[in-house]
Amino acid sequence: MSFVDVRNISFTYAASQPPVIHDFSFSMEKGETVGILGPSGSGKSTLLRLIAGLESPRAGAVVIAGQTVVDERTFVLPEKRGVGMVFQDYGLFPHLTVAENVEFGLHRLSRGERRARAKEMFDLVQLTGYEGRYPHELSGGQQQRVALARALAPRPSMLLMDEPFSNLDTNLKASIRSELRAILDRADMTCLFVTHDQNDVEAICHRTVVMGDTVRPTEVQATAAAAWR
Amino acid sequence: MVWATLIRDLRKHTNGWLLIGLVGAALVLLPLLPILFSLFQAPNANWLHIQEYLLKSYIAQSLWLVLFTSGFAILVAVPLAWLIAAYDFPLRRFFRWGLMLPLAVPPYIAAYTYSTMFSYTGVVQTTLRSVGLTVSPTFGISSMPGAIFVFTLFLFPYVYVVTKSFLENQSGSYVENALLLGRSPTAIFTRIVLPLARPAVIGGVTLVVFEVLSDYGVTNYFGVQTISTAIFRTWFGMYDVDSAVRLSAWLMVGIIGLFILERMLRQNKRFSASTSKSRPLVPRRLTGAAALAAFAFSGLVFAWSFLIPLLQLGVWAAWTYADVLTPSFWQLTYRSLQLALAATAIIMVFAVVVANVYRTQANRFAQALARLITAGYSIPGAIVAVGVLVVFLEIDQQLAPLYARMGMGEAPLVLSLSLAMLLIAYVVRFMATGYNAVEAGFEKIGTRYLEVSRMLGQGITRSFFKVDLPLIRGALFSGAILTFVEIVKELPLALLLRPFNFETLATKAYQYASDEQIHQAAVPSLFIIGLSMLSVFLLDRFGKERTE
Repeated sequence: MSFVDVRNISFTYAASQPPVIHDFSFSMEKGETVGILGPSGSGKSTLLRLIAGLESPRAGAVVIAGQTVVDERTFVLPEKRGVGMVFQDYGLFPHLTVAENVEFGLHRLSRGERRARAKEMFDLVQLTGYEGRYPHELSGGQQQRVALARALAPRPSMLLMDEPFSNLDTNLKASIRSELRAILDRADMTCLFVTHDQNDVEAICHRTVVMGDTVRPTEVQATAAAAWR
Repeated sequence: MVWATLIRDLRKHTNGWLLIGLVGAALVLLPLLPILFSLFQAPNANWLHIQEYLLKSYIAQSLWLVLFTSGFAILVAVPLAWLIAAYDFPLRRFFRWGLMLPLAVPPYIAAYTYSTMFSYTGVVQTTLRSVGLTVSPTFGISSMPGAIFVFTLFLFPYVYVVTKSFLENQSGSYVENALLLGRSPTAIFTRIVLPLARPAVIGGVTLVVFEVLSDYGVTNYFGVQTISTAIFRTWFGMYDVDSAVRLSAWLMVGIIGLFILERMLRQNKRFSASTSKSRPLVPRRLTGAAALAAFAFSGLVFAWSFLIPLLQLGVWAAWTYADVLTPSFWQLTYRSLQLALAATAIIMVFAVVVANVYRTQANRFAQALARLITAGYSIPGAIVAVGVLVVFLEIDQQLAPLYARMGMGEAPLVLSLSLAMLLIAYVVRFMATGYNAVEAGFEKIGTRYLEVSRMLGQGITRSFFKVDLPLIRGALFSGAILTFVEIVKELPLALLLRPFNFETLATKAYQYASDEQIHQAAVPSLFIIGLSMLSVFLLDRFGKERTE
């Protein structure tokens, strides 16, 4: 059985509108990074929000690590799903320092454990020394890495990334892509990655799912990253 | 299948926040329901008379008052807000908060101050006579234009405050871009600032409209026949409570229409920023004639809407303070403030809860809940008063056996003679003031931080305390202060629901004014203004801290 299973999911914002996602299915293996490609408005971000629990589907089910998180009669609240997410605009808490941001999801750990885990995260994303800063004092690339560290810190069962590179300039993108690939590998993370940039997919993802007008996976292709893995 | 999904969504949305929100809505709705039900009862003969001969005129007068006041308030407030936000000129920093000060002067106080100043014995006419000029003996401002004048001068800050803070905090990058694109300041104002500020302006104007529609003090003092004064007159003049309630029911129907209109106007024009970082606007220095004009405009508005009436009240207070300031006056003040504070605290709790339900659930039900809980603002004080009284009498009746068992005698009036009635009435009436501020605060931070927090394993409640609360603290504080000031200034509810021997500062001032003791009224009036000034000052300081 697959690690993540999205089964026949449909979603509409309002009953009067045509569905954003219609009868969509796909699955992922543990440790796999899947890129979702598609034109804007094809429901890529919505798919992530459905998996995260930030929206409820009209129909269909999502199963993560054997647990049904949503179907016709079940709805697991987003905070109980153990899913991490990096948003397009990062959403770093402006009133908290970088360290406080990263420790935010570690509320179940003791203070010592929390510190240790945060330190581990800072090493992972190579931001040691920036702990005391506030988000607005960081560059875009640094903010992006803080968001990643924060999402990974509570050891989510899977990571969702919604166009995480769209706010970065081209030079930065290239270096961060390879860093991200390495970080995901080290963490053995299952990751669903929304992008509209073919370069992202080639550098990071093992395979892609294309969402289009038909809202079905029309194309599944292995990428360079898969071979490299 | 469908049922299972419905139950799933119901369960997903049911939490403590929703339950507390429902309690708040019930609290607000309970006194208002009897009024709406009155529409379905057969009208009496008196109502037919009112409907045939008076209603049209009441509606017309109310409409004129509302239209002209909102129009003039926009004309005064929006250019001022833009001047203060975008330009630097002499005394700008002072005017920046000074122009909020008229908020501290309740219109009914301004009405009797200006009307006395312009009267035959007032300072204006006596000064003119002393230099040999005479004014027509019929001249006076106790009229429709006078009421519009007073309402505009003392209500425009509602529009000014929201527009100014919106422009200061949100418009920086747009204005800079427009400048770089070579647009003139006028074009920037009309093409960029006005459309962007529209939701803020509409929010402020809505407050002005409801203030005007609910007013009793100014219109009654000036003899303007609005629906609100008509409600008072049918109640106290004709002793026809049914018709009074029916009048207010129709007013309520009209106001619900207004609500829908406001929402539509705001929703169609809610632009979402393409960047989550909003840059503050950096003011540009004006020189020469432009600086002088900006200074003169701000100074003139400030003088008329604050300085002149304040000086006049100061003079009167100097004449009478010895008679007025007695120990019982101090006690009255203390109790009046305590009551206002208690009501504010209750309001802010419900406001935060319902605003949070509204934004976390974002469905029709939550929207209805938010509309319900703010419904009281549209209801004139007199009507809230009847509604609350009816409910409290009913509760006392239901509790009579309990009272008897406690040895308090047969069917005593316990709750309906207590301060609780006025407290609840304040909560019903002013929930919207607190709520709107909180909702605006939530709107500003959006739901992203909440979503992030939930993805990191925190529930809605923990997210609220750790993320939302620190980020909306400013809005919460502003809302609390505005609410507190509203309550201290409030007149009709207090006049009708205060227990025997209980006076608020407002009722004391109005009582003096109605008894032709205008000079004595100056002392409690200055107290009200002083307190409100303190809140305006705090509001401004907090606003600055936030933007720095």
